[in-house]
Amino acid sequence: MIQAIRVRSQTPRYRWRIVAGGGLVLACIHTLLLHRLKLGDFTPDLYAVFALYLGLFASRQGRYVPCLVLGLIRDFFSIGLIGSYAVLFSLLHKAAGRARRKLDPDKLLNVFIMCLIGTFLVNFGYHGMLVISGYGVGWSRALVRCASIAAASAPVAVLVYPLAHMCLHRLGVGRSGGYWNI
Amino acid sequence: MRRPQEKLSLAWLLRHPLVATCILLALTIVLPYLRVGERLKLLTFLPLAHASSDVSETPYEELSEDERVRVDLQRERERVSELTAENSRLLQSLKDANSLSGSDFAKSPMPPAVNAQVIFHGDSSSWRSSCWINRGREAGIEEGMPVVAGRTLIGRVFMVGDNEACVQLVSDPGFACSCLIVDPDNPNEVAADRVRGVLRGDGSAMPLFPRLELEDVAVGAEVKPGMHVITNDYSGQFPLGLTVGVVRETIPQAGFLEVRIEASLDLSTLEVVQVLQHKRPEIEEQALALLKKK
Repeated sequence: MIQAIRVRSQTPRYRWRIVAGGGLVLACIHTLLLHRLKLGDFTPDLYAVFALYLGLFASRQGRYVPCLVLGLIRDFFSIGLIGSYAVLFSLLHKAAGRARRKLDPDKLLNVFIMCLIGTFLVNFGYHGMLVISGYGVGWSRALVRCASIAAASAPVAVLVYPLAHMCLHRLGVGRSGGYWNI
Repeated sequence: MRRPQEKLSLAWLLRHPLVATCILLALTIVLPYLRVGERLKLLTFLPLAHASSDVSETPYEELSEDERVRVDLQRERERVSELTAENSRLLQSLKDANSLSGSDFAKSPMPPAVNAQVIFHGDSSSWRSSCWINRGREAGIEEGMPVVAGRTLIGRVFMVGDNEACVQLVSDPGFACSCLIVDPDNPNEVAADRVRGVLRGDGSAMPLFPRLELEDVAVGAEVKPGMHVITNDYSGQFPLGLTVGVVRETIPQAGFLEVRIEASLDLSTLEVVQVLQHKRPEIEEQALALLKKK
């Protein structure tokens, strides 16, 4: 108990370095690498995977604003409207918080399911914003694309989340009640 | 117990980031003419673009011997790439002229062009398609100018910095362009009988990239696979006769035909492109041009 209180009271040292560094690395991966792999619609949405990780495992203060900032970073490297992904990732963190109460995120099957649903909803929401701007690609096609992106992202989450836990542990970030102090 | 009423201030907005973002989003929508979002994005991209374009800021005379050799080499490389681009453009024009022989499109004059290298491919969103080029306002590039490779349409300039510009590719869902469908086997086709439509991208990714569609084609229009799709100067945004692709299939929908197009170029492999210095004419100029045609 005392240990948990001590972990929570520590000032997070890596929060902004993780969010800003991660956001920029993902921007490079998305703009320079992923399009060369010729994955078609099965291109994983790494930003959504990262935002979901923050939503599921970050401390109370390390979820909302970091998800928002991550979304803004993504918006800056895209020609879409600024704030689109920021709003979507903020909502994703809310949904992740709700899902965490029902499903244990330390089980990989649960991570798979949550990532599948989370990335689907983020992309579906983004298409909704495109539709509002008059740039929709058709709902049936959008559904197929969202499902393809979600199907590609969920296995990535299963692979990456344990690695992320390991990295945070190595960095000496405290963990209490299943939440990392970031 | 009544909660103390909170004042709407910057501190309050910082504590409610979702509200702040919604306001930001609304501002970006409401103030499209100021293009706040685009300007902000341009600022973030400037350091990256400068790093990639290898433009030396130091005057040539102050450079050391090694640096001068490097700068000379860089200039020679740029010259070679420009000549290569021009060569490929001329070859492409020749190819297009042969494929559309007999029609007047291949002979239609092309506006002057600025060669540019592609710095970044891709977009951080899986739904959008864009790339960055290393030429900007200083080279005479303005927003909305068409971007081509040879005589093939690639996109249009979306935002411009001093030495860099963002190009919205034809496969982006926000891209729209008036097009004509031309039958290469029937060079004597009457202009009034040509099928018209609006080209729209769907942000598709490879290997289906770019998958394009022509919308608003009237039902009953005679469209066959293998027909050529070229730009129309109806809106004045793009010059007449830029190649877009070849008709792959037609799907009848309620009230119109959906025409799927095989694009002429793989946009992911582009290295050098040309920005056509073509300006959209004013509405009065367009009206006069239409009157002259009639």
